[in-house]
Amino acid sequence: MFKKLNLFSKISVIWIGLMFFFAIMGDLLPIPDPAEFFDVQSAGLFSPGHLLGTDLNGYDLFANVVAGSRYSIAIAVISVGLGSAIGGFLGIAAGYMRGKTDYALSVLFNIFLSIPNLILSLVLIAVLATSSDPNVPASDNRRIIVIIISLTIVIIPILGRITRGTTLQWTNSEFVIAAKSMGMKDFMIIRKHIIPNVLPSIYAVAFLAIGIVIVVEGSLSLLGIGVGNGTSWGSMLARAQGDLEYSPTALFVPLTFLGLTVIACNQIGDALRQRLDSRESKL
Amino acid sequence: MSELLRVSKLDVRFNTARGELHAVKDVSFNLEPGESLGIVGESGSGKTVLSRATMGILTTSIAKITGSVKLTDIELTQLSRADLRSKWGTEMAIVFQDPMTALNPVRRIGDQIAEGPRVRLGMSKKDAKQRAIELLRMVQIAEPEKVLRKFPLQLSGGMRQRVMIAIAIACNPKILFADEPTTALDVTVQAQILGLISSLRKQLNMSLILVTHDLGVVAGHTDKIAVMYAGEIVEMAPTKELFSNVRMPYTEALLNSIPRISNESGVRLPVIEGRLPDPTLPQHGCGFSARCNYATDKCHVERPQLVDGGNGHMYRCFFPLGVNK
Amino acid sequence: MHKANQILQALTKLVLVLLGATFLLSLIVRLLPGSPADFYTNAFDEEGRLAQIKDLGLDRNIISGYLHWLFDFVRGDFGPFFMSGGGTRPTSVIIAQAVPRSLLIMLYVQIVSLTISIPLGLITAYRADKTTDRIISTALFAGSAIPGFALALALGYYLGVRAHIFPTIGYVPISEGIGEHFKHLVLPVVSLSIPLCASYARILRTEIISTLRQDFVTMAVSKGISNSRVLVKHVFRPSSTALITTASLNMGGLIGGTVIIDQIFALGGMGQQITFAVFARQYIALQSYIALIAVAFILFTVLSDVLIGVVDPRTKNRNV
Repeated sequence: MFKKLNLFSKISVIWIGLMFFFAIMGDLLPIPDPAEFFDVQSAGLFSPGHLLGTDLNGYDLFANVVAGSRYSIAIAVISVGLGSAIGGFLGIAAGYMRGKTDYALSVLFNIFLSIPNLILSLVLIAVLATSSDPNVPASDNRRIIVIIISLTIVIIPILGRITRGTTLQWTNSEFVIAAKSMGMKDFMIIRKHIIPNVLPSIYAVAFLAIGIVIVVEGSLSLLGIGVGNGTSWGSMLARAQGDLEYSPTALFVPLTFLGLTVIACNQIGDALRQRLDSRESKL
Repeated sequence: MSELLRVSKLDVRFNTARGELHAVKDVSFNLEPGESLGIVGESGSGKTVLSRATMGILTTSIAKITGSVKLTDIELTQLSRADLRSKWGTEMAIVFQDPMTALNPVRRIGDQIAEGPRVRLGMSKKDAKQRAIELLRMVQIAEPEKVLRKFPLQLSGGMRQRVMIAIAIACNPKILFADEPTTALDVTVQAQILGLISSLRKQLNMSLILVTHDLGVVAGHTDKIAVMYAGEIVEMAPTKELFSNVRMPYTEALLNSIPRISNESGVRLPVIEGRLPDPTLPQHGCGFSARCNYATDKCHVERPQLVDGGNGHMYRCFFPLGVNK
Repeated sequence: MHKANQILQALTKLVLVLLGATFLLSLIVRLLPGSPADFYTNAFDEEGRLAQIKDLGLDRNIISGYLHWLFDFVRGDFGPFFMSGGGTRPTSVIIAQAVPRSLLIMLYVQIVSLTISIPLGLITAYRADKTTDRIISTALFAGSAIPGFALALALGYYLGVRAHIFPTIGYVPISEGIGEHFKHLVLPVVSLSIPLCASYARILRTEIISTLRQDFVTMAVSKGISNSRVLVKHVFRPSSTALITTASLNMGGLIGGTVIIDQIFALGGMGQQITFAVFARQYIALQSYIALIAVAFILFTVLSDVLIGVVDPRTKNRNV
């Protein structure tokens, strides 16, 4: 299946694979400690000992990008995974059962979708991530969990709506009606007929959603509301923004990684969607 | 010669994934001013490709076209795209099979009819609108002023086809190509539309090339008929002559398969067994030989040429019906 | 009759969604651990404090609080903005200054994106699969996937900080000079336009290619009119419905993007205000901001549906 993809898709898959590799194996790689200050400051690319340079404080950029990949990717994968599961479940329920359930869920989806992604997650995080005392910022772990929860909530209606649409299409197809008329239990029908056909579109949208989440997380961190302290790509950007004039590499290294990852996700999601479209049209 | 259109050895081949598809094989025919020619054949016989290649609106990117098409002595195949385009609408026009897909669904009827006169004839908006109303009257649509503002969705199938005819004749073309103009319509409406086309033809002294699979359609509305099979013209004759003195076994089979009221009830309609030969494979012998009731060994091996049997009757057969050796 | 029914149904759904969204927001706001009362009262004794709370309206329960806010909202009163020294300022003042800026920026972005994407879409569709198309389409794909803020930061650095061509900070209203006004907006607008323009052009290309296959295009060509006229007058309109839908769907992303751009380039629009409200825990103001955005977004969606109905009469007969 890998061979069938065009050049861009292959590159995208390789890149994503690399990012996952960094995220998972980051600690074990023979690279400098991300938290260590080096004497060399604002070093450019390919400086000796620092593959991608250092920032104004002396942090090694490559090490930090690798460490950051863990956060950015973990947050994206977990929130999209959870969001897809819940959203998919709700979407199938809405599409299959129609009637009041469908109406209620659709209205619910639309309510959440009527607030732009960034704004919604902003508000959710703002509220959930604060501690009672306004002078003490919430702990890092708490913030990460809150971010994941907020992003999951953002993803749920997106996937819910798509899944509902696809489920509606398939529920009306002849073999489902046939199965129903033979007395097959709803649960079995869903398991055997609906889910296998809805799954491909979920995959396609999920990849695009990962791209969206990485961007949103980056934006939030840039606004100062995200993970903070330079741990994720977005917060690396925030940190670098202040020193832009003196240390541009500190900005562009995480920016490039973020941008390329988003492009790669989009490419894979697009390719999946194209395969899906061509498969369906042959039917 | 005084003919309006002279097609000589027109040959059309397509480069497809399965090989070279020989859709039209060295076809020749003439058309006089005001004459109407019916091109009859099964689906896949090449009749649509022939009509579109003659007019020149075939997408040339995958088609290889050789041969000559002369419109009042101007060689169309040698013209630049722009020059050829200038002939469309004003000298040649086409009416398509399905009026629902051939009319732009988001533009009003009036605009679509008036476009030709405005752009090609340089009419003012007002004059073009008048012309559109006049054309709608010619195609027998009631309340033309109202119809002008409607969208194709709001009209019935028959009305849409009339509109398409109005668009085609808007700039007074010398030749009208009608590609299966009635196939998408109800039977009753079919007769009306055919009648309309015939009367318009006489009114405007327009030539007509009527492409169809239905011999019944051409029976009453054409001066002469060309029967196509597997990319070749296998029989061509003035209409009356064709029906009374059928020479090709294929044509005879076609005639026999037309259901008639006079047929006995309960008797099966005769059907032509078999299928068209594969146009991507080279042809051996007569294209119809595999399905012909009268085929001999010679028919399977040698390709018959067109023979002039007198009375303007041409046929492509070694053993034409009703001709004694 | 049927049409009136449809409109009524659509309106009801709309209102439901609006109410739901704003209620949800107020609910979230209420979930805050610790109440705003703790932050905004500075009286020394309990009595004074209670009086202040009552004065500021912080003592109502959820439903009552929401309803109060709702009634005020629809009358244009966006609630109090708590000043650090005590006392309040009407949020409407802040909104009156910030919202027009953000709207203006979004308008510029849409205009620029549409102006550039339409010819690009036409060209790539007309020359589909030839070299011109392949080059442009690849660029478009890259462009559509790059996040707006990435471009903003990159362009801001190269054209602003390094080359000093465009300013990177601040907003200048038109009244203070058109030249400066536009100069300050070039970077923000360009950063947001590039991804939007790329996505529009790609969608247009797909739609035009599929429209070109239709019979009525062959019919138009057979009238003898020029290819450019066919493209503009016959092909463009049926292809544009998808574009309008995309434009409205992208509004949400555009709003989000404008918020970031606002922050990056310090433009004083809604983005900065929202961020500030979040940090300063101005929850009532925040509620109003978000509600306003949700309303605007929904209105945009309705507007685009109406526009599609005008452009393509086929959709008038379908259910909303």
